[in-house]
Amino acid sequence: MMNTIIGLEQHVQLKTNAKLFCECPTEGYLEAEPNTLVCPVCVSHPGSKPYGVNEEAVRNAVKISLALGCKVVTEKPILVQRKHYFYPDLPSNYQRTSKPIAKDGMLSGVRIREVHLEEDPGRYDLRTGKVDYNRSGIPLVEIITEPDIKSPEHARKFLDELQAIMNYLNVAREEAGSTRIDANVSIGGHNRVEVKNINSFKGVLTALTYEAMRQKNLIKNNIEIIQETRHFDEGQGTTIGLRLKETAADYRYFPDPDVPPITISEKKVKEIKKEIPELPAEKAKRFVRDYTVSETDAFVITQEKEFADGFEKIAHKIQPRLAARFMRGVLKKQLNYRGLKLSNSGLNEKKIIELLELVEKKRITPKVAEKLLVLMLDEQKPLKKLPLYEELVGIEKEGIVEEAVEKVLKEYEKAVKDFKKGEEKALHFLIGKVMHLTKGKAHPEIIHKHLKKRLKAG
Amino acid sequence: MRKGECSASGHLEEKTKVIEQKEGQLNAFLHLDFEGARKKAGEIDEKIRKKKKLGKLAGLVIAIKDNICVEGMPCTAASKMLENYVAPYNATVVEKILQEDGIIIGKTNLDEFACGSDCTKSAFKISRNPVDTERVTGGSSGGSAVAVASGMADLALGSDTGGSIRCPASFCGVVGFKPTYGLVSRYGLLDLAMSFDQIGPFSKDTYGAALLMEVISGEDPRDSVTKGTKDRDYTRLLDKTKKKLKIGIAKEFFEGCDKEVEKVVKEIIEKLGERHEILEVPLPISRYSVPIYFLNVFAEFSSAMQKYDGLKYGAFWEELNLVDAVSEVRDRTLGKEVKRRILLGTYITMKEFKDAWYTKTLKARDLMRKEFDNAFKKVDLLASPTNPSLPWKIGEKNEDPVQMYLADTLTTTANICGIPAGVVKAAFCGKLPVGVQFMGRIGEDEKVLAAMKSVEELAGRDMDDEHNNRS
Repeated sequence: MMNTIIGLEQHVQLKTNAKLFCECPTEGYLEAEPNTLVCPVCVSHPGSKPYGVNEEAVRNAVKISLALGCKVVTEKPILVQRKHYFYPDLPSNYQRTSKPIAKDGMLSGVRIREVHLEEDPGRYDLRTGKVDYNRSGIPLVEIITEPDIKSPEHARKFLDELQAIMNYLNVAREEAGSTRIDANVSIGGHNRVEVKNINSFKGVLTALTYEAMRQKNLIKNNIEIIQETRHFDEGQGTTIGLRLKETAADYRYFPDPDVPPITISEKKVKEIKKEIPELPAEKAKRFVRDYTVSETDAFVITQEKEFADGFEKIAHKIQPRLAARFMRGVLKKQLNYRGLKLSNSGLNEKKIIELLELVEKKRITPKVAEKLLVLMLDEQKPLKKLPLYEELVGIEKEGIVEEAVEKVLKEYEKAVKDFKKGEEKALHFLIGKVMHLTKGKAHPEIIHKHLKKRLKAG
Repeated sequence: MRKGECSASGHLEEKTKVIEQKEGQLNAFLHLDFEGARKKAGEIDEKIRKKKKLGKLAGLVIAIKDNICVEGMPCTAASKMLENYVAPYNATVVEKILQEDGIIIGKTNLDEFACGSDCTKSAFKISRNPVDTERVTGGSSGGSAVAVASGMADLALGSDTGGSIRCPASFCGVVGFKPTYGLVSRYGLLDLAMSFDQIGPFSKDTYGAALLMEVISGEDPRDSVTKGTKDRDYTRLLDKTKKKLKIGIAKEFFEGCDKEVEKVVKEIIEKLGERHEILEVPLPISRYSVPIYFLNVFAEFSSAMQKYDGLKYGAFWEELNLVDAVSEVRDRTLGKEVKRRILLGTYITMKEFKDAWYTKTLKARDLMRKEFDNAFKKVDLLASPTNPSLPWKIGEKNEDPVQMYLADTLTTTANICGIPAGVVKAAFCGKLPVGVQFMGRIGEDEKVLAAMKSVEELAGRDMDDEHNNRS
């Protein structure tokens, strides 16, 4: 048996105004000059004390926990512990991390073991030996799964769903480096290997695929798998053993005397629960049910809340299945390609409806719609101001299609005869010729309509 | 001052003269800031001239223990590790003192990182007891006690983790007070053991301690253990507190105590019986205060000291290898007692030994708290000697750390339980002062202060007379 078993630990930065234990701002910490968003607390100057746990961070962590179906710990105070290890990015040389604030959730068929709240260390640049503490103290949630993930693809799916939930809750940071993942991988009951330093959702599939393959090869060749920690090398797409000493790290955890335990009341949990919007999985189900869109379309469309909301508005004006197919296939692709979101693309629901109405009325083909969309994105002009629009859509008004039909009917008399004898294929041939003549700008159905009319008449 | 009979600047100059006279012999200070003090005194005199409102501490000259941050002044904790460290911010207590027009004159000597009981473990100098310069000041806040006892400062701040204010107060014959845990913000106080540390005042008399308490206590968002603390007028409460208090004594307090210390403390307690009710209470667990205290402190201290890696501030060691750089800087700049505590604290919190040591010591701490809670159901206060012995000769207890630890047996209990405790001079043994200690319920700091004032009223005058006659 070569079953792959994977467990994940995600660290996700929370969106809060202030850091976890002081009042330093978090906004723009990546772009700010190094060590400008700091105070004695987050640099751990002698004598500084943590201000107590940031309430907003607790709220956000609870919200995430609830969205993951976890039970929030309300029955007892949650201790904040010190995890001791020496590293230059850690100003106190210990990291404050809470005991679980929630347990026993489920996502994508994967059990969530527990959720913690902790502080992010600074950023240590190994090349220059410099540390930037702007990040030090930014709140993180740590989400730990049971080893229920069965393949790298499953891990990717789990993380896609997790990312979608984070997007809906709008309580986590989404910029690069705001999520870091550690994975435990074991195969067929052999030793477990921890892969660290996976810094993007994209990296997970690469890292896990490589690691699973590496382990399978070792097993095939009867080489024992060493229980170890390996680093993911994003550039190479490989994992590298760290050759650490045999002894396991001893973090000497103990409760931080400076931080009163976190208490979360049932009342607060209920209050936070009310703030949770319809989540992607529910929304996707509803889209399938109410708009009869395919499950795949519904899944993709509901990954981001604003996108899903946009779809719903559009689906009130446009046939939902057409809208879904276009948004999932064409719109999403073009936005992703440009690294844009619906909100900052210059597009809005109204503009998309305008475009899709043309498709719906068969005035343009979906292919042409994509061309127009590309122009709308790149030239940032309204649909009707695009020269191509005039050329494509204007084609009907000016009788260009009719003209072309006449021309083709004259030129290919044999085909006309064949059609009249009942050969459907001949009609397709004629449509093709008209399309060729109109340089693909006329919609086949429109041509079809004109042809039929003329052929009947003639 | 208001009447213009004296000025802040004038008063400061008097103190400056005393410092110039005595500091060379006593070594109370690690840093003096005459210039800054004169500037502040000038500002206060300006306020007087303009008839502006004056703060509660207007013109008083105050010394700060060198493990409390004063912006722009060095904060060394008497360690080579922080020899070149200048605090970039004010501790909350310092901010409050400045707001109330106190004049900060400088930073006082201590045992390195407050690890010690006699102020001989400073990396820079040994403070000397003004009563007998061959003898120790007590510690760790020895410099602050000396500054007040010798008249170099009106008031001083110390920190007390297991007696570091009360021991030197007793040895130097001044008032020293450790507030209820969480009553005074620790923001800006360098950690020794976070769940024990409190900042507190030194003064000539109880009124002075009450006054400084009034200024420095209260809730501070920058130290979350102060949450819920109310601002209180301790000077007013000093007179308003119930006149007759129930004071408990335990026979355990006198076990292992020098006979002469036992005698004078028992005498003063007997005298207190004229005004208050004295009761016997059993406190068998208090015998274990030293092991309970030190094991907890080692554990917390080892964690607190992690930050001193020579990479961010303080001493720095040029090494290519990071691990070597951190190891070297810690090895070369930290003193023996500090290293001992870090190593022991690390050991007892390691996975393999945690249950046998640290977990047990936490349980023992709980037991002791319960025992004291029970005692406080019967009495308002507990009275005891401060130290089992008189101030020893400098160098006397250097060899055996356990002997040094045992000197803290009567003061550590208050920190273990988080209760307020204060020390006031009870009498002299020969020329050496002996302080009596009172401990009270959590949050009833004013009762402790009231009992201390009783001692001053009942015994203070005869004692001074007696002392004056003798010397």
